[in-house]
Amino acid sequence: MTRTRTLFLTVLLAMWAVSARAQQRDSLQALKHLTLDQLMNIEVMSVSRRPERLFETPSAIQVITQDDIRASGATSLPEALRLASNLQVAQVDSRQWAISARGFNSTTANKLLVLIDGRTVYTPLFSGVFWDAQDVLLSDIDRIEVISGPGATLWGANAVNGVINVITKDAKETGGLLVTGGGGSELRGLGSARYGGELGAHGNYRIYGKAFSRDPTLLPNGQAAPDGWHMGQGGFRLDWDAPDSNRLSLHGDWYDGRIAQASPGHIGVSGGNVMAKWAHRFSAKSDLTVQAYYDRTHRDIPGTFGEDLDVYDIDVQHRATVSARHDVVWGAGYRLINDRVVNTAALAFLPPQVARQWFTAFAQDEIALASDRLHVTLGTKIEHNDYTGFEIQPSGRVNWTFSPSRTLWAAISRAARTPSRIDRDLYAPGQPPYFLAGGPGFRSEKELSYELGYRHQEGALVLAFASFYSRYHGLRSLEQVNPPNPTPIVIGNGQDGESYGGEASASYRITDDWQVRAGYTEVRVHIWPNPGSTDTSRGTTESHAPNRQLSMRSSLHLGARWILDGGFRYLGKIENQQLPAYAELDARLGWQPIPALELSLAGRNLLHEKHAEFGTPAARRGIQRGVYGMAQWHF
Amino acid sequence: MALLKVVAALMSALLLVQSPRASEYQVKAVFLFNFAQFVEWPAVPTPDPQTPVIIGILGEDPLGTFLDETVRGERLAQRPFEIRRSRELTDIQACNILFISRSESERVGQILAGLKNRPILTVSDGDDFAKRGGMIQFVNDKNRIRLRINVEAAQAANIVISSKLLRVAEIVRTSRR
Repeated sequence: MTRTRTLFLTVLLAMWAVSARAQQRDSLQALKHLTLDQLMNIEVMSVSRRPERLFETPSAIQVITQDDIRASGATSLPEALRLASNLQVAQVDSRQWAISARGFNSTTANKLLVLIDGRTVYTPLFSGVFWDAQDVLLSDIDRIEVISGPGATLWGANAVNGVINVITKDAKETGGLLVTGGGGSELRGLGSARYGGELGAHGNYRIYGKAFSRDPTLLPNGQAAPDGWHMGQGGFRLDWDAPDSNRLSLHGDWYDGRIAQASPGHIGVSGGNVMAKWAHRFSAKSDLTVQAYYDRTHRDIPGTFGEDLDVYDIDVQHRATVSARHDVVWGAGYRLINDRVVNTAALAFLPPQVARQWFTAFAQDEIALASDRLHVTLGTKIEHNDYTGFEIQPSGRVNWTFSPSRTLWAAISRAARTPSRIDRDLYAPGQPPYFLAGGPGFRSEKELSYELGYRHQEGALVLAFASFYSRYHGLRSLEQVNPPNPTPIVIGNGQDGESYGGEASASYRITDDWQVRAGYTEVRVHIWPNPGSTDTSRGTTESHAPNRQLSMRSSLHLGARWILDGGFRYLGKIENQQLPAYAELDARLGWQPIPALELSLAGRNLLHEKHAEFGTPAARRGIQRGVYGMAQWHF
Repeated sequence: MALLKVVAALMSALLLVQSPRASEYQVKAVFLFNFAQFVEWPAVPTPDPQTPVIIGILGEDPLGTFLDETVRGERLAQRPFEIRRSRELTDIQACNILFISRSESERVGQILAGLKNRPILTVSDGDDFAKRGGMIQFVNDKNRIRLRINVEAAQAANIVISSKLLRVAEIVRTSRR
């Protein structure tokens, strides 16, 4: 049924494409007959500054722009990520999200690489992201690039099934004062302020602060779960665009939050980061980027565990067009972490304190063949980590732009998910006798992935398809130490698996004022124990994702002052959690009475009073319908 | 399915409500075409009256097919228009008008230095382009396109910009910072 619908929609879109093209030509002829004065008084729509080469990228990439985020009314990074149809995004409770690509989703999903302005934000504790500690001022975001599929060669470890790359604007683009405030149900209150200005002849700066308060979600019995959440964050960014082809950037963020929980005490999360980046252009054909950052996280979950983590990271990257055919990128990096866990009676990380380091080097050559129509990209990443020594992650990609509007691409990649503390050091309960006794022998999980994709751009219509088959070796398993005794268990690599599926997306600008988009993703994950393994989970602890999901969005400008945006999503059931399928709708109406002011009213999850997106029946939380109003001034 | 039909009907109805607005790069494409008529290049000895007016696009092309459609079939006197795209300046040094994409913002200084005083009308929508020595800069101002012109830079290249064009533009100088 869903497939028929998608097909039907595609056909409709194709029909409109023809009529819209004709309209464009007509308006162009009209414009040519205008005088200069008249031409200057034509009101224009800004196109999103999406990098044009996106179309030629040989991977399944989707880009969420600032305009998309603003129109959608998203109030957090995870909400904004729902706009990429190649991601599986599920809200677990007020603060926790399960976000993944190509299956393998969980609250500790560990096969995704997430970067904010080049800073890796997944924790070495479990190779996943604490989404409650990763926030930015959403109006600072320039774009979010979302790649599903392996990106390990260029991006690095953990980019097994995808990369999320959040890129914020240059301080030059955020001048003046921006004040935002609002609230409603679920999102009780949100306020932020940002100020930007010039710093000398070549520099720009901005500072910002934000705070929000979120309502609790619902327990299975309908009562409020004690998970209300308050958070504050502030930061700055300096950009210095020096003469002689040098650019310098310095930015930092600090945050502090408190989340209620059922057991005594509040969950506390706080931390900060500071990053410096220097880019130098030797010539039009050669440039160098050096970046270094320090990131600190403090987390205290009374009764469960506490953690203090320091991350130090430095990366160097050099890009050079060595000949007309060869575009080479190579680089190296070093990361040091110092992680200190406070153990409790419930669980323990042993040893409590560890220091670990990573060395990486990578090289990639993009070779242009057949008069720039065919590109072959070969590369590999070599990484050394304290757990498993060297990991080699090569990939080969081909993209064939066989007409200016059609690109076919294919890729074979090998990626590794290297061990994190949770795989090696986790013991439960906190003292012997343990029923879970760490994973002293845990090695990297290995993936070999095959991808095939196609992109088609015809005027205002953009279509993209990607399909994949991935084979996994040594997936995480729970092994009995003394079979047939069910306990103790240790963490091992006793499972293999495969995943396959496809992602389709379409975007169509029906008129300059109206854009519609649709995305459909189908994913299957099968996991099985290897001979000799005593694991009986068949992957139920590793992957919780719906088999299919559909999203549709419409963004409509009504005259110059009003914008109406609607987003519908359908997610299939998550079988191993007996979580039913659900459909939900978000909508937002924005009004700009004067250019400096925007008032908006937004509704989230409008179709049901409450619904659940993740978790077993006993553990899941009800996510409630929310409505909020927002005002934004830009002086 | 019924829902889709409703959506389809709604979409078709809205299609009829034509918007008076144009897309940003459609307008910029028309400007680029118009510039040819408001600019005089230094006389070149024995020009073939049929020599095309070449508009070059350097870097990632945001204009798509707009510019091609704008100049299709058009002539300046007897000269047809030709569009050349490239990522490298060396490939398109022979053009009359050069549009420098924002993708090249970081190396604008270098590009302009490389063109120094060649009779090419440089145009860009990159930040501070005119102040950095470019000739015409598109500036987005409250959803309208404004022009910023650096007359000195044009004079240095022996390009004469018509007063009709100057009248609607903001005149700036190269800032020596």
